Amino acid sequence: MVGLSLGEKHFIQGGIAQDLRSDGRKRLTYRPICVETGFIPQANGSARVRMGATNVISSVKAELGKPSSLQPDKGKVTIYVDCSPTAEPMFEGRGGDELSMELSVALQRCLLGGKSGAGAGIDLSSLIVVEGKICWDLYIDCLVISSDGNLLDALGAAIKAALSNTGIPRVNVAVGASGDQQPEVDISDEEFLQFDTSNIPVIVTLTKAGRHYIVDATSEEESQMNSAVSISVNRKGHICGLTKRGGAGLDPSIILDMISVAKHVSDQLINKLDSEIAAAEADEDES
Amino acid sequence: MAGKPGTNPTTYSPSMATGKTRTPIFKDHDVDWVRPDGRGFHQCRPAFFRTGAVNSASGSAYAEFGNTKVIVSVFGPRESKKAMMYSDIGRLNCNVSYTTFATPVRGQGSDYKEFSSMLHKALEGAIILETFPKTTVDVFALVLESGGSDLHVVISCASLALADAGILMYDLVASVSLSSLGKNLVIDPVLEEESYQDGSLTITCMPSRYEVTQLSITGEWSTPKINEGMQLCLDACSKLAKIMRSCLKEATSTSQE
Repeated sequence: MVGLSLGEKHFIQGGIAQDLRSDGRKRLTYRPICVETGFIPQANGSARVRMGATNVISSVKAELGKPSSLQPDKGKVTIYVDCSPTAEPMFEGRGGDELSMELSVALQRCLLGGKSGAGAGIDLSSLIVVEGKICWDLYIDCLVISSDGNLLDALGAAIKAALSNTGIPRVNVAVGASGDQQPEVDISDEEFLQFDTSNIPVIVTLTKAGRHYIVDATSEEESQMNSAVSISVNRKGHICGLTKRGGAGLDPSIILDMISVAKHVSDQLINKLDSEIAAAEADEDES
Repeated sequence: MAGKPGTNPTTYSPSMATGKTRTPIFKDHDVDWVRPDGRGFHQCRPAFFRTGAVNSASGSAYAEFGNTKVIVSVFGPRESKKAMMYSDIGRLNCNVSYTTFATPVRGQGSDYKEFSSMLHKALEGAIILETFPKTTVDVFALVLESGGSDLHVVISCASLALADAGILMYDLVASVSLSSLGKNLVIDPVLEEESYQDGSLTITCMPSRYEVTQLSITGEWSTPKINEGMQLCLDACSKLAKIMRSCLKEATSTSQE
């Protein structure tokens, strides 16, 4: 990880305490976000998000599958994060597995909502083609290309952008098939359905360093953290998921304070991200 | 299940004095749902703990919350594997596994790979790792029967096993989870309630220090609801810790006799 000398540590901590971080940002300012969409032709949707030196790719693939017997009226979504050794040598071999799993679990918790599907960013029932027989399986695969802290927020933003870029082909079901028969389907390659991405939450990670918390920490700042809380907030200002990282304990009142700060920050982040995604889509249409 | 020498191997009934009594707080207009086991919405399952379930381990504990039955053994501190780098603080290694017969469908324990890392994160903050440099403590949890809210039972049981092993901790760790079903908050959900839940909230805390070591929320929540849920869980945690503490006291007093 990042090895810092005592002087550097003091410099970072002092900066955070004075609301002026080493790259000139304030405590609650994000690095500039840069979004690119639709650059993986093989996928149904893709996006690349850059926040400073953090660089992640997310791709969405849709395949027809069979809904699970427990939830016949819902499609399936799998989120998987891959940490490439190109980002950091320690990700080589099985070294990145733990981080990959932690990130995948956190993303699933933040984006897919509860077991009954309430509060989910992605409406699973819209993925159904024939109830109990055919549904779309969405595979969301993310790749960490280079990592400079705040991976979870960047991945969340990349998934949101990739989903708004995703077109699911329209499926025509042959009429006449009834009963136990597997209905015949015809996948159109001209008509595509878009996702409604307005409900997909953004993830805000607040890193606690000393007595203050900061958003969008770089990896140098992350090495100074006692604990971090990742909160996903949707447009309505509701909390859709929360994960705590780091071992140190937190006072319950601090967590509640963090939640209210995250709500405030998420407002700006959603707007910023939406305009970036719109700009990226416009760019893509032009070219 | 062998007790430690000296403990009376009584047949236990989980609903004895260790059962939690909580004042029912829910209001009449909320009652449109009867819980499968007839509890109130804000009533936890009776908790039963017993330390010293495994003789060969440095410390172990068995916990039973309704149908959820968990056994945790702690080994160590022992020398870290050679491949590990030098570390001047101790390491914690956690593993949660399910028996193949723990769940209704054979071998389909829910995603317990993530449970291992969540158990690790929940305990890490409570253990004074500086007291055993260069060594590793292994915490192995086995879910014998999954009856809902498995993770929070595992965490509470593991902290009791650590205490039984004599590993220094800042405080016992107690964990409680809560489901949101419609407008209602239901504490300590069973398997059936968990599969219908709109959202869940799990808190792990050190009650005497009043510090939250682990918190996770799924589903859509408004801030007042989170407030309410956290208060309920923290309250339940401190009561759970009392039960755990009395179990430890009981174990030491019987072994001294």
